[in-house]
Amino acid sequence: MISLIKYEFIRKYKLASMILITMLALNLFLLTKGAGGSMSFLVVSLLALFVFYLADIIKMYSDDLNKKTGYMLFMTPNSGYKIISSKLLTAVIEGFALLLVYFIFILINGTYIIISTGNEIDYSQIIKAVDNLLSGSLGFNLGHVLVFLLAALAFLIAFITTVYTAMTIRKSIFSEIKFGGLFSFIIFLLINWLLSFLSSKFYDIITPYYNTVDTISGTGRVSAGGLAMILLPMIAVLIIQAVALTGISGYLLEKKINL
Amino acid sequence: MSRLIINELTKKYYNKIALRNVSLNFEQGKIYGLLGPNGSGKTTLMKVVAGLHKQTSGHVLINDQDLSYKTKTYVSYMPTENYLYPSFKVVDILKFYKDMYKDFRYEYALDLLNSINVKLDYKISNLSSGETAKLKTVIALSRDADIYLLDEPLNGVDVLARDTIMDIITKSYGENKIIIISTHLVSEIEKLLDTVVFLKEGAVELFCDAEELRQERQMSVEGIYKEVFGND
Repeated sequence: MISLIKYEFIRKYKLASMILITMLALNLFLLTKGAGGSMSFLVVSLLALFVFYLADIIKMYSDDLNKKTGYMLFMTPNSGYKIISSKLLTAVIEGFALLLVYFIFILINGTYIIISTGNEIDYSQIIKAVDNLLSGSLGFNLGHVLVFLLAALAFLIAFITTVYTAMTIRKSIFSEIKFGGLFSFIIFLLINWLLSFLSSKFYDIITPYYNTVDTISGTGRVSAGGLAMILLPMIAVLIIQAVALTGISGYLLEKKINL
Repeated sequence: MSRLIINELTKKYYNKIALRNVSLNFEQGKIYGLLGPNGSGKTTLMKVVAGLHKQTSGHVLINDQDLSYKTKTYVSYMPTENYLYPSFKVVDILKFYKDMYKDFRYEYALDLLNSINVKLDYKISNLSSGETAKLKTVIALSRDADIYLLDEPLNGVDVLARDTIMDIITKSYGENKIIIISTHLVSEIEKLLDTVVFLKEGAVELFCDAEELRQERQMSVEGIYKEVFGND
């Protein structure tokens, strides 16, 4: 599995380097426009990174299914389950890496904005802000952030597995059908409709559970534990969904694929 | 003991039957020629054995095991298409094979590439068709696999490169190996073949010892090929 992930990154490092260099160049150019330019960069680069990420994780799997270079991967003695899991892990790691890159850009541009507006960087203010976050005096604390991140991660994984499953179904059960991209998208919509239907049934069943959960803390706000209790069923559904879809994709790659 | 048994194999596509009840038994120590015109099912048969296509019906047994990802450890397949990652250098391809296949002989591949003057720092997208064909042959045959499937190894290759490729194939022959070569360029490859399989419209037309066939029909395999497929 580690070898599979390693070669996924080797295959994309050149493109990623080019994106990074372009972003750096754009950032340097916009820095010359002052604090406004810096803010513009943060907005534009967030959108650009998001679009790049979506396109790249789809292309990563689509190329292997639809181009002859996919033989390199599918000739190897790795099970379908291992192949689809490696793709999923690569996509998640890539997501975190891009998030880290964006965070670094925020730090650089944030520092620049503070300096360019004539202020000095007050590290004690930063420490105080972190302290406030940890203590919960802002209305949310680190617990809230972690629960939110966990939910976001579960959502991301479920989304990627849905996309990959749609592509796998198209390339295995419907491998003869033309307009593959469009057909994959239709399958993606159908899977989402089915999952929404099943989820709504599940939430109907567990509604009484919500009524028993005490989510309000002593301060009158939703506690981190309370937030976790609210999001827990959703996270569980997303994880079950991701595991099931990964299993389906792995099975189809193993038993039905026609490259 | 290396063995490949194909039993009643059928592969249907949406509007075409690519393989019709193909039954073949390949034994170790022989070089087989899978012969037939374009569209006769040679590539489909190889892709099914390599695990890239799934059969509609029938069975394939490799070393007494049903086809699965595990049987890919026994099979080294060289597709006719250029399937190598274009952004890689030759050395990256070798490293990929070394990491993915336990039986890949890295030093052996280096020696072969050195002897045919393909440099490690060449980029795949910059290779000529002859260089690509030689590289594909080298990496497929550098695996110490039981079964080698070489799909049209001489396609789009000049005369000198053809000789090199046939030399590499000859070097890789072993008593415990099965080598299956598909081609429609029969005359070039004929001298290598122990057994020939003629595929016609997805069905086995002929499956016999090459030398016996030559003596029986008093002509070369190429001549028989022309006789069988000449009217198509």
